Amino acid sequence: MKFNIDRNDILPPVQTVCTVIERRQTLPILANILIVAEGNKITFTGTDMEVEVVTSIKHFSENPGEVTVPARKFLDICRALPDGSSIELSFNKDQVLIKSGKSRFTLATLPATEFPSTEALGSSNKISISQEDFKALLEDTMFSMAQQDVRYYLNGLLLEMEKNSLRAVATDGHRLALKEIKVQTDVAETQQIIIPRKGVIELVRLLDGGDEKIDIEISENHIRVSKGEVQFTSKLIDGKFPDYQRVIPKGGDHPIKTNREALKQGLVRASILSNEKYKGIRLILQKDLLKAFAHNPEQEEAEEEIEIKYAGEEIEIGFNVTYLLDALSAIKTEQVILNIEDPNSSCLILPDNEIECKYVVMPMRL
Amino acid sequence: MIALVDMNAFFASIEQANNPLLLGKPVAITNGLVGTCIITSSYEARAFGIHTGMRLREARQLCPQLIQRPANPVLYAKVSTRIMGCLHEFTPDFEIFSVDEAFLDLTHCQNLWGPPETIGHLIKQKVFDCSGVHCSVGISGDKTTAKYAAKLHKPDGLTLIPPWEAKAQLASVPVTELCGVNKGIGAFLAKRGAFTCGDVTRLPISVLAQRFGNPGRRIWYMCQGADPDKVETSIKAPKSMGHGKVLPPNTRDRNTVYMYLIHMAEKVTSRLRNNAMQAQKFLIGLKCQEGWLGDKLKTTFPTNDSKPIIKLCKHVLHHSWQGQGVFQVQVTALDPHPVKGQIDLFGEDTSKRYQLNRAMDLINERYGAFTVAPMPLLNRSTMPNVIAPAWKPYGHRQTIPDTKPKQRTQTNKKVYRLNGDW
Repeated sequence: MKFNIDRNDILPPVQTVCTVIERRQTLPILANILIVAEGNKITFTGTDMEVEVVTSIKHFSENPGEVTVPARKFLDICRALPDGSSIELSFNKDQVLIKSGKSRFTLATLPATEFPSTEALGSSNKISISQEDFKALLEDTMFSMAQQDVRYYLNGLLLEMEKNSLRAVATDGHRLALKEIKVQTDVAETQQIIIPRKGVIELVRLLDGGDEKIDIEISENHIRVSKGEVQFTSKLIDGKFPDYQRVIPKGGDHPIKTNREALKQGLVRASILSNEKYKGIRLILQKDLLKAFAHNPEQEEAEEEIEIKYAGEEIEIGFNVTYLLDALSAIKTEQVILNIEDPNSSCLILPDNEIECKYVVMPMRL
Repeated sequence: MIALVDMNAFFASIEQANNPLLLGKPVAITNGLVGTCIITSSYEARAFGIHTGMRLREARQLCPQLIQRPANPVLYAKVSTRIMGCLHEFTPDFEIFSVDEAFLDLTHCQNLWGPPETIGHLIKQKVFDCSGVHCSVGISGDKTTAKYAAKLHKPDGLTLIPPWEAKAQLASVPVTELCGVNKGIGAFLAKRGAFTCGDVTRLPISVLAQRFGNPGRRIWYMCQGADPDKVETSIKAPKSMGHGKVLPPNTRDRNTVYMYLIHMAEKVTSRLRNNAMQAQKFLIGLKCQEGWLGDKLKTTFPTNDSKPIIKLCKHVLHHSWQGQGVFQVQVTALDPHPVKGQIDLFGEDTSKRYQLNRAMDLINERYGAFTVAPMPLLNRSTMPNVIAPAWKPYGHRQTIPDTKPKQRTQTNKKVYRLNGDW
């Protein structure tokens, strides 16, 4: 295998595939990326056995072939070479030789045949959606995913497809985020999949805000997202997501309406003096007034008064302030609606528009 | 002005105070009559060269007339509670350092009690009056020097080191004599040519700071009689809460090991409940010939109920243990936190278990630990509880049951109310 390529052409695809490579691996081959040169195309693949990213560039190779090279070192070399320099890459016996100007590097390789390949997807459902919409769907919910919870199915994001809609749900057992968008799918009946946490994070990194369409394929065990030359594949979590509908409260009789930014800023200030570990904050709801209190083990205290529209009874309730702030940051509307029923039941936070977005936060007992 | 009060041969002195026949005799305390390791011994026994940690057989060779007494942790806890109560009357700035040691910050009450020497005698008299036990008192300007001073005259001593003389007095003292400086740090300092406190003072503080961080800086100050550590009046929140027990050596029977684990799980959870705490991460350990086996495991939800923890114990027995002989078991709740806190969206209904545990706790509170216990514990080990040096008369370190001070009923009511929310 041998090809000459401009440094600026090879760097972006290598950077893209390197993001999925873990810093520590159990299998040595997983530290490598697969480079396949054939005819007019060079393909790069990186995987951690759960998430795989494949991308290719149009480029003519003198000699077709395939090889795997250490991902991080290869990336560092490409990046460190001067802008616009030309790279010559050749594979000989079991080493890769990289030449550029007066620089020479030989890299160890592992046989391309050992590189793990993702099994074929099998029958799948397809969705075509704008990149922007899909990215927003993930971004507005992913912060609620659990991290290393024993309930492994919470360490990911639920995608639920119906005939005319696509819904994302994430929860860590303390709060829940849900967003739904209208989109034409080819599913006959409701289908649920759980994308693992890492897959979601990588996927969001891959997507940009443009409105070009991307294709999503969902099979029994995989999700594949194709965006131009980049193809992202993630295994799915085999588990039963809890019945999230059960824990979303119906809107109450006395919703609170307030300016989102004002509420957020007030909570941010109060949170400075909340317990660093538990992040507890005490809210007192009165007629058209919300008081927020925080204190820490050093007996320092913060108190905020925020104007709201509220006609219900006085309620005192505790929350992890981080959960409230996460939800308030995900909402984009100027006004926000909160439904709080009693100190032991969950709080529902909604944007003030038609967008199907719901945030549920369980209270804390303070 | 800080005083350190150190009870002399505490457990042995209590035995002697309670049984005049033992006065003036060599007494050794062991864990029950089956215990063979000496927990502590009276000064009369120490005169024969007997020391803590010595085997009974060895000690009998040195002193054939040695009297063995089984440890009575319940009594020791009671006496300790009483003494700490008396000391607390001198000043509220008071830190229980261990079961038989306490620091008193007397800075703010010198006008009340008089000059250091008077206070020292008052303290000694008061301790003796309320317990019949002699103590040594060291008084100085900081904790470390006070502790060092108390050690100088034992038993029944009173040593004053005025703060302005502390640096000079410590200068020739080996640094490992100070509380908290042991062989490890001692060797580190010896390598740099510092053997005495005076030597350490001549080292740049950065040498200690680089290797040991802030505790290192503290040692540098300690060596010149300027320990910055304050008398800690509040008990710090626990980082972990655990119980362990020694098994008959080389136990291979699965059911026996399992029963010991259940026993420890019950002890840990009842202690968590007593302190209105819960935990989600647990260490379950089995000590075998080759060292500790076991795992740190998580329950689905934070808990103070033994059921999910026993499930983890089963998991450990199944996955980490291959039937090797077990010598000791350990169950520890890691990072325990108050029961009040985050409610879970998908939380399971634990009200039944809660009621069961509450009923069990109330009965055991009144009639003694393990009066009511799960069935498998009918054959549990009868080895008595051991009182840990870190035992304290209140808070999460109150691990010896049946020793509740009178006002405890009231605090308990409060604890139950907190539990009630749960």
